[in-house]
Amino acid sequence: MNEEQTWVSQAQQGDDEAFTRLVETYQTPVFNLCYRMLGEPELAEDAAQETFLRAYQHLGRYDQKRPFATWLLSIAAHYCIDRLRRRKFAMFSMDTEDDEGNTFEYPDADAPNPEAESIKGQTQERVHELLKDLDETDRAAVIMRYWYDYSEKEIAESLRLTVSAVKSRLHRARKELAGLWQDQEDDLLAEMERRHHESPAF
Amino acid sequence: MNHQPFETWLLDDKHLNATEKRDLEAHIRVCRTCSALAETGLALRSAKVVSPAAGFTVRFQQRLAAQKIIERRRRLWGMFVLIFGGLGLLGWVAAPYIYTFVSAPVEWLTAAVGYFLFLFTSVQAFSEILSVLARILPGFIPPYAWMVLTSFLAGMGLIWVVSIWRFANKPQGVTV
Repeated sequence: MNEEQTWVSQAQQGDDEAFTRLVETYQTPVFNLCYRMLGEPELAEDAAQETFLRAYQHLGRYDQKRPFATWLLSIAAHYCIDRLRRRKFAMFSMDTEDDEGNTFEYPDADAPNPEAESIKGQTQERVHELLKDLDETDRAAVIMRYWYDYSEKEIAESLRLTVSAVKSRLHRARKELAGLWQDQEDDLLAEMERRHHESPAF
Repeated sequence: MNHQPFETWLLDDKHLNATEKRDLEAHIRVCRTCSALAETGLALRSAKVVSPAAGFTVRFQQRLAAQKIIERRRRLWGMFVLIFGGLGLLGWVAAPYIYTFVSAPVEWLTAAVGYFLFLFTSVQAFSEILSVLARILPGFIPPYAWMVLTSFLAGMGLIWVVSIWRFANKPQGVTV
């Protein structure tokens, strides 16, 4: 039995300290999934807290044959999907800094190559924004695939789908993302062209 | 080569050999759809993992403590409602009897003794009938009928035990 399984067993027997260790270990993956799903750090914080609370309340149902991380992320994904379905967000905030000043996706100004970091940051910001246009379940599948390297089988188990459904959802989501990406680039080019033509001749 | 295999390679994140890589790169230069697919794929794969603000565990512990208080309160209220509701219902049902007893205790006591006597004699008569049946019936029912009855009861018992065992050992997924 590894350390994690020991903590899980202890937590199942009511040891809150053992559960706290699990929270410390998995806070980042759970928060990241919620952040990618919901788009805002404040909502992600709340969803991640709720995920751990639900895991705590239903720990008796956890099957030790399954990886704990998969079980936990599955709870997080389902919670976020339900939340998104209950309330369709009209618009997401572009802020990427929380109340306590913790940065999330801004490029590091002290990085050796600020320009490259800036482009990378912009690209990631674009992907983050584009994710919001995907269907909730497709989004969860994409996040599990690209942020957690989950196989199609693992995604299927986590989201209670068939492997073929996951595959088709991933394909659809990737195509949709590429289409949106292309549209954005077209808009950007058109805007640049328009500005070029409108600029006064000096 | 036409567009479709390149799109499938990109969508499946296929591991490519040198020739395939060269072919794909050449295709991407002329195909905007595949170019966008490749770019988004690259952006997804290089995306960062975001951490929560410091003190997440402490905030969780606070939330858990608050939740436990809420649940304790809810249980307490549930218990109060159950106890007082039960007592109220009991009082409502028993009120006419209590009133009768208080207004005419002798009459009520006579009726109660009469009722208990009737109950006692009924139980006695019923047990008498059962003992007579137990003496007579074995002679009328053939042995194979007893076997069928015993097997049926054993089968039902087995189904019951298996159902409980299956329910207790049901694999637990995430159905939160």
